[in-house]
Amino acid sequence: MKVLVLNCGSSSVKYQLIETTLEAIAANADRALAQGIVERIGSESASHTYRPEGRPRISAVSEILEHGAAIAEILRTLTDPASGVVEHSGAIEAVGHRVVHGGEAFARSVFMTPEVVRQIEECIELAPLHNPHNLRGFLAAKEILPGVPHVAVFDTAFHQTMPPHAFLYGLPYVLYKRHGIRRYGFHGTSHRFVAWRSEALLGRPRAETRLITCHLGNGASVCAVDRGRSVDTSMGFTPLEGLLMGTRCGDLDPALIFYVMHKEDLSEHQATTLLNKHSGLFGISGVSNDMAELLAEEAKGHERARLAVDLFCYRLRKYVAAYAGAMGGADAVILTGGIGENAAAVRERALTGLEFMGVRLDPGRNRDTVGREGEISAPGSPVNVLVIPTNEELLIARDTLRLVAAGAAAAT
Amino acid sequence: MEIRTLGMVGGGVMGRSIAEKVASSGIAVVLAEVSEPRARAAREELVASLDHELEKWGITLSEKKVILNRVRFVAGLEELAQADLVIETVNEDLEVKQDVMRRLGALCPPDRIFITNTGTLSITEIAAASGRPDRVIGMHFLHPVPRSPIVEIVRGVETSEQTYATALELARVLEKTPIGVSEYPGYVVTRAIVPFLNEAMYIVMEGVASAEDVDLALRLGFEFKLGPLEFADRVGLDTVMSWMEHLFRELGDVKYRPCPLLRKMVRAGHLGRKSGRGFFLYRGYERIRPVEGAR
Repeated sequence: MKVLVLNCGSSSVKYQLIETTLEAIAANADRALAQGIVERIGSESASHTYRPEGRPRISAVSEILEHGAAIAEILRTLTDPASGVVEHSGAIEAVGHRVVHGGEAFARSVFMTPEVVRQIEECIELAPLHNPHNLRGFLAAKEILPGVPHVAVFDTAFHQTMPPHAFLYGLPYVLYKRHGIRRYGFHGTSHRFVAWRSEALLGRPRAETRLITCHLGNGASVCAVDRGRSVDTSMGFTPLEGLLMGTRCGDLDPALIFYVMHKEDLSEHQATTLLNKHSGLFGISGVSNDMAELLAEEAKGHERARLAVDLFCYRLRKYVAAYAGAMGGADAVILTGGIGENAAAVRERALTGLEFMGVRLDPGRNRDTVGREGEISAPGSPVNVLVIPTNEELLIARDTLRLVAAGAAAAT
Repeated sequence: MEIRTLGMVGGGVMGRSIAEKVASSGIAVVLAEVSEPRARAAREELVASLDHELEKWGITLSEKKVILNRVRFVAGLEELAQADLVIETVNEDLEVKQDVMRRLGALCPPDRIFITNTGTLSITEIAAASGRPDRVIGMHFLHPVPRSPIVEIVRGVETSEQTYATALELARVLEKTPIGVSEYPGYVVTRAIVPFLNEAMYIVMEGVASAEDVDLALRLGFEFKLGPLEFADRVGLDTVMSWMEHLFRELGDVKYRPCPLLRKMVRAGHLGRKSGRGFFLYRGYERIRPVEGAR
């Protein structure tokens, strides 16, 4: 089955066309036939970058004013006689949509029905920057591809298995009941993908392992996966909590926000932007939010670049150890995301010092495993440490296929 | 109606503030000033206010660049003929606004809608000069526009439903809660704030308390974010005085008569934050606070 996977942001649409079957999933042999991104939607100079499998990348700039036009342009490209990968849009059999926030309503992927759309709308208050665009993308895609099933895959769904003692804050309980104030967690699709993939690499079923999965990109989170289920994760009510990130501060004492607002005479908006866009690696270093750049600056002797990397590694180490504590131990630590997949130096600095819980890195393997799958722990290390490149789009395609296949099976 | 390019007349405090919000909402702005030097100065002022917001962590460096990239400052009105919609933000003076409307009316295609940003004047009178009174409407934005959540929408006698719908759509795009008001001097916000500001100035003039203490008392007493005198300084004391004069003239009630202290300060050129001195002293956008313990 050919599944179009869409990830719609405020002014962008990222997509992949993935060919998958139940057999391909089992063999990890599904293929991305093409992928691309349309950016700067709403302007006369929107850019479309498209890469069909095994062929060179194509870029074009044109006027694309809204998401519907972007999706139409994507379909035109996918079916283009010269550069396309399918003959006509009828070859696309289903569409999978990334949706950031599913609240407590969704613990798994679902077909987009009017009722589901209504529930996603209810979650807009919780994710005002993402859910409206995810929905806009769905409505546009539904209009252009009305005859095929559309499926919603939520960033929060995987973490719905967290127990109350992990998802509640120490606030009056009534706030949870009234406004849904609780920890939701994000990056669920990525944590779930690497947890699934680890099964093959570890040669042990998920039902027997305790995993600590670390998604380390510009946004970063850690997840405790106990026998296949998320039991804790470092992002909370919003993606601001937890690890130090590119421009987000992560954990802090909430009382200091009011203090800083008073001292610096900040509005609520300025304070929110301060925490989300001016903090983290960028705020500490004053140089960049990009880990590769910081490591390069550090090598040249930049003191605050070093400090930023130190903070990042230290907090990651604390979370890994905490989640081992939460699960009564760990069998594997998995690293993914841009930093997790590529920054060997960060992996080494963050995980050194965890020998007490059985984490022993192999410096050579760590150095050599960049941008690819592999084990980086020393032979005989009680805890396996794995690098697994994430693939959220693939998981969205697979969820879409499984739902469609189950629906077809139920119908016969 | 799709608004892709918005024309603006006037690069003063309000004009720049509206332009900043419009540009950060993804709409291109062509902002017309009367001359090249004025256009350049307006751009420099916008850069300064964006730098201030950056210093306060309200925007990022790339957001600043995007906004500046989307606002084009030009001399003369000619280029506004291509805009989808035009907002004028020139001085709060009926004749000046009517003159702008007259020129826009002659310049722009007949279906183009004009918005006038006024807090006190009659939309009907302003609209009459445009030659298309059904396509003119008032939108009274509040300063600072990027942060203020409301806009008053004022229909003139002949404003059409379609024009009103366009104004509502612009309010939605700019994330403002629209307050529909009837044409009447001062509408809601200006009319309600003017006597309050005036009273605070009388208290200072009569020697009851210092400007510092009047603001402190009202800020702490009623949980206002700014005291009335610092608020007036930020708006510009000449602007505040023009509101008062207009309301006094239109409604005849002495509660709108500008406090003599305000008149004196405006004559002396102490116009508030923009001149560096009003009821308080300023360096750029920052207020110079009295040294702790000096009082």
